[in-house]
Amino acid sequence: MGDRREARDAEFQSFFIGRWPRLMRTAFLLTGEQHAAEDLVQSTFEQVYVAWRKVAAADDPEAYVRRVMINAHARRHRRRLREFLAPKDDSGLVREVADTGDRIAQADDRGVLLKALAGLPPRQREAVVLRYWEDLTETQAAEAMGCSVGAVKSNAAKGIAKLRAIPGLAETATQGGRK
Amino acid sequence: MSADRERNHDMTQTDIALLLADAADEVEIGIAPVEAVLRGGRRRRTRRWAVTAVTAMVIAGSTGSLAAAGLLHGGGDGGGRGAVVATHGTTPEQRHVYEPQVTSLAKGMYKNKPWSLVVQFWGAPKDKAEATRQLDAMTRYGVEPAEVHKAADLIGKTSFFVIRSYNGERGTQIMFNTAKELEPFAGTDMEAIATRYSPESESGRLVVGMVAKTAREVTCTWKNGTSTVTQWIPAGYDIYPQLAGVLRPAAGSTTANWFVCRAPEGTSYASAEVTK
Repeated sequence: MGDRREARDAEFQSFFIGRWPRLMRTAFLLTGEQHAAEDLVQSTFEQVYVAWRKVAAADDPEAYVRRVMINAHARRHRRRLREFLAPKDDSGLVREVADTGDRIAQADDRGVLLKALAGLPPRQREAVVLRYWEDLTETQAAEAMGCSVGAVKSNAAKGIAKLRAIPGLAETATQGGRK
Repeated sequence: MSADRERNHDMTQTDIALLLADAADEVEIGIAPVEAVLRGGRRRRTRRWAVTAVTAMVIAGSTGSLAAAGLLHGGGDGGGRGAVVATHGTTPEQRHVYEPQVTSLAKGMYKNKPWSLVVQFWGAPKDKAEATRQLDAMTRYGVEPAEVHKAADLIGKTSFFVIRSYNGERGTQIMFNTAKELEPFAGTDMEAIATRYSPESESGRLVVGMVAKTAREVTCTWKNGTSTVTQWIPAGYDIYPQLAGVLRPAAGSTTANWFVCRAPEGTSYASAEVTK
C-alpha cells in the first residue's frame, strides 16, 4: 500500500518536473507576473496531485493539466484576486522600432506585448495564449477552456485584433517579429 | 478577403506567436517546487476528504450526528467574545481545549420547525494529555475531527466544526477542519458550501462559508437570478431569525469571518462573492 503510494508520488514528481518549465511560460503569459505565474502553476499541480490516479490513467494528461490551469486562472479572475498584469512601465509612449537583437528594445517589445495581453479580457487572453503560444488546435483550446470551438475562434480573433491595434506591437510585427 | 490580406493576416498571427514565445522567455523558470506542491496536494486531499465525508453524512441523514445537541445551543450568541482569551491564555481552559468557543451563525424556522447553524472552535492541545482529554470532549460533543486517528494527531492543531441542527434533533457537522495553521483568507478569497436546512429539505438552500477578516459584505446569487446580501453583525451582537444573510466574526476564528445566506423558497445556490 505504502509502496504503491510512493511509486505514485514518484511518477507524479517526474511528470511535474518535466512540465514545470513549459507551464511556467504559459502561466506567465496568462498572469503577466513571475510570482503569480509560480502560484498558478503550483496550485494547478496541487490539484493534479489530488486527482493523480485519474490523470495518470488518462489518454492525454497534458490536456487535463491545461484544463485545470485555465480553470484556476478563470476562477482567480472571478474572485478578483490580485494579478500583477502589465509591467511597471506605463508611459504609453510609442517606441521607436529598434534593430532586432537590441536587448533593450527587445525588453521593451516584451513589455508592450505583456501590457497588451494584460489589457485583454481573460477569455480572450486565454484563447490567444493557447492558440498562438501553446499552439493548440481550436478543438484542443476549446477543451482546455471548457467552451465551444466557436467561442475559442471568436475570443482568439477579438484578442488578436486588439493586439494588432497596439501601435508598438504592430510596428514590431511589420518588422517580421522577433527572431 | 483578398490574397494579400489573407497573407498579411497569417503573417501577423505568426508574428504574434513569435512575440509570445519571446515574452514567455522572460519568466525565470527556477527549480520545480516539488516539496511545496506535494505538501499542498496532501493538504487539499485532506480537505477534499473532509468535504466528501460531509456529503456522505448529508446523504446518509443521521450518520455523523451530534450526541450533545443541547450543548451546541448554549452560549451560541457570544460573537467574538473570548477570542483574545483563547489565543493568549495559558491554561487549557483559557485556550478552549476542552470546551469549544461557540458562535451562532444563523437560525430560523423551516416547515414550522427550528433550525440553527453554529461554529465551534477548539483550541490546540499542547501535549498528549491535553489531546486525549480534548478527543474525549469532542466525542461527548459528538464531533469527529478530520484526519485524526489517535489523540496525539490533535497536538498543536486547532479544530473547527460547523454544526447544523434541525428541530432540536442531533446536529450534523457540515464543514470542519483540524490543522496546525488554518488557511488565512485575504481580499475576496472565499470557501463555502451549499447545504440544506434538514436532511429532508431541498439541497442548496443554505450557504455557509469563510471569507477574509476584512470582508464586510457577501452577495449570494441564486439560480432564479435573485440575490441576497449579508448584513454585518459585529462580535458580541445577537443574530435574529429574520436575517436572510449574515456576515460575522466567530469566537476563536482568527483567519476568517463567517457568512450564511438563505435562499428564498423554490430556488438554490448559484454563486457567492465578497462585494465589500
